[in-house]
Amino acid sequence: MKKRKFMALALSCVMVGSLTACGGKDTGTNQTTADPAPASTEKAETPAETKENTDTQTAAPADAAQAAEITLWTYPIGSWGDSATVDGLIANFNAVYPDIKVTVEYLDYTNGDDQINTAIEGKQAPDLVLEGPERLVANWGARGLMVDLADLWTDDAKAVIYDSVQNACKSNDGVFYEYPLCMTAHTMAINRDLFEAADALQYLDEATGTWTTENFQKAVQAVYDSGQAAVGVVYCGGQGGDQGTRALVNNLYGGTFTNAEHTEYTANSEENVKALELLKSMDGIDFDASLVGGDEINMFCNSTFAMAFCWNVSQEKNNLEKINFEVLPMAFPSEDGRPQLCGGIWGFGIFDNGDPAKIQAAKTFIDFMANDEKQAIESVKASNYWPVKDLGNIYEGDELMTEYAKFVEYMGDYYQVVGGWAEARTAWWNMLQQIGSGTDVKTAVEEFVTTANTATSAQ
Amino acid sequence: MAKSNSMSKALVRRETIAGYAFMLPSLIFFLGFVIYPMVQCVFTSLFDATMNREDIFIGFANYVELFQDKVFLGALKNTVIIVVVSVPVTCIFSLWVSSVIYDLAGPACSAFRCIFYLPVVTGSVAVAVVWKWMFNNYYGIFNYIGTNTGLIEKNINWLGDEKFALGCIILILLTTSVGQPIVLYVSALNNVDQSLVEAAEVDGATKFQCFWKIKWPQIMPTTLYILVITTINSFQCFALIQLLTSGGPNHSTDTIMYYIYYNAFKLYRYGYGNAMGVVLAIIIALLSAAQFKMAESK
Repeated sequence: MKKRKFMALALSCVMVGSLTACGGKDTGTNQTTADPAPASTEKAETPAETKENTDTQTAAPADAAQAAEITLWTYPIGSWGDSATVDGLIANFNAVYPDIKVTVEYLDYTNGDDQINTAIEGKQAPDLVLEGPERLVANWGARGLMVDLADLWTDDAKAVIYDSVQNACKSNDGVFYEYPLCMTAHTMAINRDLFEAADALQYLDEATGTWTTENFQKAVQAVYDSGQAAVGVVYCGGQGGDQGTRALVNNLYGGTFTNAEHTEYTANSEENVKALELLKSMDGIDFDASLVGGDEINMFCNSTFAMAFCWNVSQEKNNLEKINFEVLPMAFPSEDGRPQLCGGIWGFGIFDNGDPAKIQAAKTFIDFMANDEKQAIESVKASNYWPVKDLGNIYEGDELMTEYAKFVEYMGDYYQVVGGWAEARTAWWNMLQQIGSGTDVKTAVEEFVTTANTATSAQ
Repeated sequence: MAKSNSMSKALVRRETIAGYAFMLPSLIFFLGFVIYPMVQCVFTSLFDATMNREDIFIGFANYVELFQDKVFLGALKNTVIIVVVSVPVTCIFSLWVSSVIYDLAGPACSAFRCIFYLPVVTGSVAVAVVWKWMFNNYYGIFNYIGTNTGLIEKNINWLGDEKFALGCIILILLTTSVGQPIVLYVSALNNVDQSLVEAAEVDGATKFQCFWKIKWPQIMPTTLYILVITTINSFQCFALIQLLTSGGPNHSTDTIMYYIYYNAFKLYRYGYGNAMGVVLAIIIALLSAAQFKMAESK
């Protein structure tokens, strides 16, 4: 009898134990922990290393050297989505701050937001997150979830970080929720071989990567007439890559997406309506509700399309092996040939998890990654984009980066910090779907602006 | 006698306690992961709840808004279409396949079961990627075959045209839904009492009469189970929508589950999303109850 009782108890314990295991903290395969370097007493340093590290520590906050374990969740921003690269960056950090342990989780753009939102609701938000202002500032910052980074935004930092970047990193009431690391300008690209065969290169300026709206129309028509039925596609199957379609529409006749204060959507302007009507009427340009930006990139790389509206230097780097033609990156066409490109600005934000030690450690991490003289270059290079301040020519000798660098000067207003952004993004591709299926452009655009502005005022 | 009674009561008590002890882990799981979320869902549906803000009690306002929300009503209609088409087709198709393969030689029957079960065990993402390629507007296999055989004049944008998109989703759903019913029907048909079938055949019953009068009543519990799970799965169609159409084009493939996800996870409207969840649960419960009742009456 005793034996049976014991067995019953043991079985119950095993079952409860298995339940506990099921409810344990997620340690998914995409989570890695970069072990801190050995404690400083055990670490043998060369004199040169010692001097470098001492210099760096002088630059870091004075009270930063405290033990803490922090978590960094990073979206796939260049090689910041690659564990081998990030482990190397963290090893550099731990060489200077051995007592701060950084655990990294790698997110993707399909599920990343859901993972973070679920973590927030479960009071398990990461300490640090690497992403852009539309999430760090306009979303989580606006909801009071992020730490004010004012002490990182010193006068020295403000003096060197570009003004447009500074404006994007703070909320409308002036609170900095992001400390920026890198930036890029999203471009479009054309299949140069196809354009050359269609004698369409005459309509664009290869040196500056710009063209006028009129020449864009002529070029598309020439490529279409040469037998390429699908020249380009206004993809609208979802929000992936929607910066491309927004930039295309806004640039054609100089329209804007929001007002300058980022308080109201202005996509129903005459210029935007004219641009959408033009796109709808063009041979070779289709509105396709079955494709998103990623699909368009793949189909440009396999030559299905002659141009891609969702492009930047990372796309070319990531797809080099697939592409068997010459890619020519181009700015979006505009009436005066002076484009306003959509930018991407990425940096760090800190979730307010209520632990001052972790917050301080996270600030130390940001300061090291973005401000340390040597490390900042490595951190930016890992992103495959450009620094948000003058770090010299960090890509010297890299032809591809040099070719794309010319587009950074065309970066336009970073309007993605406008309120109601999530709903507006969905409404945008829904609007394009409506236009593609025959709804009057003006009606569809008015509906979009009403939906988006309602979302803004509801926030 | 009294001593024997008290011994027996003690034994019963001990066994009862042991029984509950064994049930406890499952009970904790059931209460924590089923009952508590259900209660929380109903409770939250009465609030304007969003991220990092105190919930505001609004009574039944979310429910009132639901039935004025055109997108929700469209999603409800699409969901009903999916259920109405998918459930009978899945049941009839799987019953037909099972009837054909259940008395095949062992390896042949197993091979067919594996083939039909394969989409069930394949991940939704992999399934969606393959179907997306087949439906591709520019180089998809359906357009290739259709245009080359003259069935269609020009390429059709299967997933990008609101006339076809929902049909495509239902087709994919069918391929991922028939596996389990086929396996269940094959087992059920194998369990039918063969002596009754043989006796009927001796008495001159046709194959159809044998099926309708003998096999069908005996596989009725399996049919009921299949009807219920297929109905629930069809109502909860989400992954395919998210991976293939995001509810488009023009909301033509929005389902209630997808719209719940969109409101709760994209717009952070937790109260509104929960209200939709409650409505969906009520609909599924009513339909399942009706299916049980119908089966009982037969």
